[in-house]
Amino acid sequence: MKSMAIIIQKDAYDLILTGLAFAYLGTAVYDEVDILCVNWAVKLISKEGVKIKLDHQDASLQKIQENLTKAGLPTDLYEIVKALKSTGKVHFYGCSLAAAIFEVDQKDLIPEADGIVGATWFLTEKAEKATIFMQY
Amino acid sequence: MAVSSNKTLDASGLSCPLPIVKTKKEIDTMSSGQVLEIISTDPGSKNDMAAWCNRTGNKLLESSEEGGKFKFYVQKS
Repeated sequence: MKSMAIIIQKDAYDLILTGLAFAYLGTAVYDEVDILCVNWAVKLISKEGVKIKLDHQDASLQKIQENLTKAGLPTDLYEIVKALKSTGKVHFYGCSLAAAIFEVDQKDLIPEADGIVGATWFLTEKAEKATIFMQY
Repeated sequence: MAVSSNKTLDASGLSCPLPIVKTKKEIDTMSSGQVLEIISTDPGSKNDMAAWCNRTGNKLLESSEEGGKFKFYVQKS
C-alpha cells in the first residue's frame, strides 16, 4: 500500500488550498492520504473552524472563488473537506497539542474528522510509512 | 492507425488536479483493457497524465496536442 502524509498548520483559506489540492491529487495516485492538522489548522476540522477566512487581507475572496470554480474545485472549505472524504481514502486527524492550545475538543469535531491524535502516532504510523510526506 | 476509445472524459477548462482526479474516477468504472479518451486544456496534464499512468500501471497509448487541447488515450490495466 502506498500512502501520502501531509501536515497542515494554517487554517486560512488562501494558505491551505494548495495542501488540500495535493491531497485531492493524492487520492488519484495513492491508496491512502493522511492529514495531520497542527497549530491553527486543527480548527479546520472543527464545526466552528471550518469557515473561510483569509490570511492576505488584500486578497479578493470572490476572485479566488471564481478561479477555483473555473478550475473545477469546490469553493467552500467544508465542501472541499467533504469531497476529499467522499473518496474514501482521506483521513483528517487533529494534533492533540494543537487541540489543547486552540481549544478544540473531540465533541467539537466535524463528522468527517478521524479524531484527535498524538504526533508520535502520526509520525511513526503514518508519516514514517508514507511514500511521500508534505507540509503546508 | 487511430486509437479507438470506449469512453470520453472532457476535462476542458479544469485545472490540476481535476483532470487526473476525474481520470482516476472514470478508469475505476471501466474494465481491464478498455480505453478512456481524455481531453484537457490544462498544460500540466501533459506530463501529469504520463506520470500518473506510469505510477498506476495504466497504459498511455497515445497523447497529442493541438491548439491548446491535449488528448490522451489511456488503457486500463
